Amino acid sequence: MLYWSLKTLLSEPIRLIASAMAVAVSFVLVIFFSAVFEGESNQMVVYLEKMDADVWVMQKGVSNMHMASSMVWDWKADRIAQIKGVKAVSAILYLNGPVNIGGKDWFSYIIGVSPEYSHAGPWSVIQGKSLPDTGEVVIPDVISRLTGVQIGENVILIDRPLRVVGLSRGTFSMASSVVFVSREDLGDLLEAGDQYSYIMVYADPDVTAQYLIERIEDEVDKVNALSNGEFIESDRQLALQMGAEIISMMTILGTIMATLIVAFTAYSVIARKKQELAIARALGFGNGQIYMAVLYQSVAITLLGLLLAMGCAFTLLAWLPSVIPQIILTVGFNQFIPLVVVSLPVAIMASLAAAYTVTRLDPMIVFSGQ
Amino acid sequence: MSAEVILQANNITKCFGRDASEVRAVDDVSLKIRRGEMVLIMGPSGSGKTTLLSILGALLSPTAGSVIVCGTDISAMKESELAALRAQKVGFVFQAFNLFEALTVKENILFPASLTAQGIKGATARLDALLDKLGLNERQNALPSTLSGGEKQRVAIARAMINQPPIILADEPTGNLDSHKGQEVMMILHDIARDDDCAVLMVTHDPRVEEIADRVLWLEDGSLRDRKSELHSWVLDPVCGMRVDEWTATVYTEFENRKVVFCSTRCLERFNEEPEFYGDRIDPK
Repeated sequence: MLYWSLKTLLSEPIRLIASAMAVAVSFVLVIFFSAVFEGESNQMVVYLEKMDADVWVMQKGVSNMHMASSMVWDWKADRIAQIKGVKAVSAILYLNGPVNIGGKDWFSYIIGVSPEYSHAGPWSVIQGKSLPDTGEVVIPDVISRLTGVQIGENVILIDRPLRVVGLSRGTFSMASSVVFVSREDLGDLLEAGDQYSYIMVYADPDVTAQYLIERIEDEVDKVNALSNGEFIESDRQLALQMGAEIISMMTILGTIMATLIVAFTAYSVIARKKQELAIARALGFGNGQIYMAVLYQSVAITLLGLLLAMGCAFTLLAWLPSVIPQIILTVGFNQFIPLVVVSLPVAIMASLAAAYTVTRLDPMIVFSGQ
Repeated sequence: MSAEVILQANNITKCFGRDASEVRAVDDVSLKIRRGEMVLIMGPSGSGKTTLLSILGALLSPTAGSVIVCGTDISAMKESELAALRAQKVGFVFQAFNLFEALTVKENILFPASLTAQGIKGATARLDALLDKLGLNERQNALPSTLSGGEKQRVAIARAMINQPPIILADEPTGNLDSHKGQEVMMILHDIARDDDCAVLMVTHDPRVEEIADRVLWLEDGSLRDRKSELHSWVLDPVCGMRVDEWTATVYTEFENRKVVFCSTRCLERFNEEPEFYGDRIDPK
């Protein structure tokens, strides 16, 4: 029966591919939602990852950058720099809010960079300069492409026009892009010219982040110190929580659709072969063998659909961002696991339901030839 | 006849539906079929022939009565045992051929062989013999869609014979064939009964088979009855000229307010293509 199962599937290659494509399309839909979500989540912590600090220091009670506000006196950066085991520090003033670019508000991480801490600026600039002076701004190249705002044109931060002097790469996100301004401008707007928001601490070789955290919290009042890993994870979790409900709903709906398509495809493939299965039964094949035959078919179609979906997903990953730059996709094999876990049993159950009808068929079907 | 009884039905009854809507498709039928015997079951449409065949072939359980195959009462068998019995003891030949479209002639014939202890490898010698006997050597790698009706039925017969079952059950095996091919298939089944010592039980409307059958059983309203000779009303098929029983023929049409009967659907199709041409040949009886 296994041979019959495979040969029957392969004898109609167009139908097989159409069935597998139906499954694949439904999978791609779910993977797309998941990939956008994953991509956005990663992009929302990209600044933290690129800074690659060992320890982040912020106002006591604060443990995030996303949707958070932190104020630390600037002298605390100098104090931390003097702690034994600290190789270097860098500090930024920060605001999470909209920047009006090309007439549209773009919700952004606004980073106020000081000339002495130039490391905190953009890590890749494709045009113009990387460090903005007073009255200047560096915006993501994707926003420039989407809005047509070029170097030399103005954007508005709160009520202050800033001239675009640089376009940075890898800083765009649909939820929160990274925009760089001078610390002086941001400090003026926030009336916090003598404060920073976050202090990045770089450790000497052989000094652990945990050691530095303990030292900083001992020696500097009213600050919270987190290791790079903790801080990034804390921010990623917050970002996930904020987008999770919508994305989960979309993913659940997509999964339900995918499941229905998988079930329908598996059922219809088996139902089409009901007559032949009934003949096999008349010839002496038992119900167990009938069930196994349909299992082979539905598993083969589902796995083929999954393979096609993987091919489509990785193709989309390579191609879509060049066409729609605002979409950031992250596709990993881990995203396919829930699909397999959900869809394979559904496909098996649907095909078994079809096979069950065969085992209950009126034997006359083999005589009538219908 | 002293040959071994291979298939026996004792007072079998099959009812469908319940209470007021109950239908007795088979009503208290008893019969015995011996090795080497070719037995026909004839009767009007809806008389229960196919239901009886399904019960005798272990595809359907009787409401009452027992069926004994090769000395074993199958009435109390489980589904898995019945499946094994069908694989070993019964070969089916269907009117609609019922070949597997994706499999070649050879694969179709070998399909039930995987159910035997010897498996497909053990059946290759038998396959070669059947291909040879049924004239299918040249077509062994062909797909069913490329075969003629006669070839398809020969493949179906070979498939039924591959496990060397003692019983062949055939349901209208000539129904989809023209008279020449139908005759050929009948002779093959006749030879199987004679040479392979099989019991061949055939449901048919084709009166020409009567001439080569050992016995004819007449089923009417679910019961076996003596067939009266006056139930025959022989007329000639206007297309092929074969003798057809007007009373039992299932293939017929209306032409110029007359009932015209045919030996097969093939002849009816030909008639419908040129009714005026064949109209002159209609038996005036």
